[in-house]
Amino acid sequence: MRDWSRHVFIWPATLVVLLVTLFPLVYTLDLSFQNSRLVPPLPPKYIGFGNYIKLFGQERFWSVIGNTSIFVFVSVTLQYVLGFAIALALHSRVAGERLYRITFLLPMLMTPIAVALLWKTMFNQQFGPLNQVFTFFGYANPPFLTENIWSYGSLITVEVWQWTPFVILMMLAGLQSLPTDIFEAARLENASSLQMFLGITFPMLLPLSAAVIFIRVVEAFKIIDTVYIMTGGGPGIATETLTLFAYQEGLKKFNLGYTSAISFLFLIFIIIFGLIYMVILKPQIEKRR
Amino acid sequence: MNKNSNQKIITQILCIAWLIFTLFPLYWIFVTSFKSPIAVTGGPTYLPWIDFEPTLNAWHDAFSGSRGDFFATFFNSVWISVAASLIAVVFGSMAAYALVRFTFKVKLLAGVVFAASGMSCYLLAKEIFDWKDTTSMGFAFLCALILSVTSNRLPLPGPILRNNDVVFWFVSQRMMPPIVSAFALYMLYSKIGKDSGVRLLDSFAGLTLCYVAFSLPLVVWLMRDFFESLPIEVEEAALVDDVPRWRIFLEIVIPMAKPGLVAVTMITIGFVWNEFLFALILTTGDWQTLPVLLSGQNSYRGDEWWAIAVANIIAIAPMLIITILLGRMMRSGLMLGSIR
Repeated sequence: MRDWSRHVFIWPATLVVLLVTLFPLVYTLDLSFQNSRLVPPLPPKYIGFGNYIKLFGQERFWSVIGNTSIFVFVSVTLQYVLGFAIALALHSRVAGERLYRITFLLPMLMTPIAVALLWKTMFNQQFGPLNQVFTFFGYANPPFLTENIWSYGSLITVEVWQWTPFVILMMLAGLQSLPTDIFEAARLENASSLQMFLGITFPMLLPLSAAVIFIRVVEAFKIIDTVYIMTGGGPGIATETLTLFAYQEGLKKFNLGYTSAISFLFLIFIIIFGLIYMVILKPQIEKRR
Repeated sequence: MNKNSNQKIITQILCIAWLIFTLFPLYWIFVTSFKSPIAVTGGPTYLPWIDFEPTLNAWHDAFSGSRGDFFATFFNSVWISVAASLIAVVFGSMAAYALVRFTFKVKLLAGVVFAASGMSCYLLAKEIFDWKDTTSMGFAFLCALILSVTSNRLPLPGPILRNNDVVFWFVSQRMMPPIVSAFALYMLYSKIGKDSGVRLLDSFAGLTLCYVAFSLPLVVWLMRDFFESLPIEVEEAALVDDVPRWRIFLEIVIPMAKPGLVAVTMITIGFVWNEFLFALILTTGDWQTLPVLLSGQNSYRGDEWWAIAVANIIAIAPMLIITILLGRMMRSGLMLGSIR
């Protein structure tokens, strides 16, 4: 009496995912223990953890991890704070709310490469509109993309511009799903807006917030498009991210074994981060329910 | 009362500021596409006819093909994103449906068997039998699959994964940094090309296959919520009448989930359309997609903003339309369910 059709339903998707996303890992894991390079050619030879040890000893690797982490931390924090604030504003039925709702979403699905190119013209040191603004305030030709702090600021601005809409969308949906009677009761008690936010809204949306931040952090760690276009990792390697670093090593220098090792460390890093995040947040979320 | 109106003013200012921040870059790229070279290098200008004399030159150049083959690349992007999304939505919604209506029990140990036997069969075939990399790979995949499916039927100890865990497994694939599998796929595709002559690098099939795999987690996740919100009674009635599952799925479930399917297809098209890293690594020319072409524009004509603006608008326009359509669907409460 077992219904065999369930296998027909589940297997196509499972097979594709296993075949394309998971199984190549076997190949790279194997490769990461080899000393293999295409240019100049080096015949593959097993060197144990050699690649990993070399990587840990390289200053560039640590600086790349540092860059990526700072970048992710600052941009996701800004996205969350701004996105939540704007979602609250929209939820309070601000005038013109319908116009805002559609326009605020626009950046979200735009091609990141096009967004980066667009902002690169905005950030142009001579002909860009932002230079004009800065010149007006007495700071002509700021090095938007050519000096460490400035280029971080520029990249983070672009990320915030593109991805805050995602936070707005999710938090707004969350706000709309909250029961209204609690707020009415609080209003009868003469609770101030701030009290209502801290006492009701924020705690009730904590699980959703945790999910939204998690999604954004995981996605932000993957970043390459914006950096690739706007700074190319520069000045020097000041804004190089993990993905860009692996790309340079693998497909510019063809250091196959070494790149596999980077990829694997990246994967392990993300998994550990995910586990820690869940361990910390799970009791919090369950307590609130 | 006074405090309340203060609050209103603050929220309104916040919204207007964000509106300007959101829209100004879009306006900027739009006017830039009508500028002549002199209007660009003369400093920032904003108002056509007042600040600068608009021209259609850049648009003309793009459409006449004198600036590289835009159309071929544009249609590459269209075919690949449509094909990949349709396949992903078909496979993904089948899997999502199965995960809502059937119960699955997967032993955790069977998953471990899959990974371990995959690795060891690969090494065995490569090092001991001295087979080619790709042959060993295929051999190892089949071995791993057969061993893990059989071991799942054996009475093994250890935790048992249920439907929710399977969904979590699908979704967690999105956590994987794309560079990991992009690099692996590049190596694998080029090996397959060398060993068997099947061209997967820089091909429609190769790129579409990898996009299908990477869209599936998203589709499974979103579609599962749509299917869960559907009433089960109709299906139960049909089951009593001995209607086969596939007909229930095609004739009852799919029509009911249509709005969800449309929305998910649009989102998937957007993801594939925008994707850069895989396209950059897995294509070299013939099957380049728009993001790769755009990134090339950056280095070749970094200062020719008018040309870049036109290319940008062509890449962005379909996405803006999709966003607006999705925004309207969302207002009708369609997407609310998927968020929880």
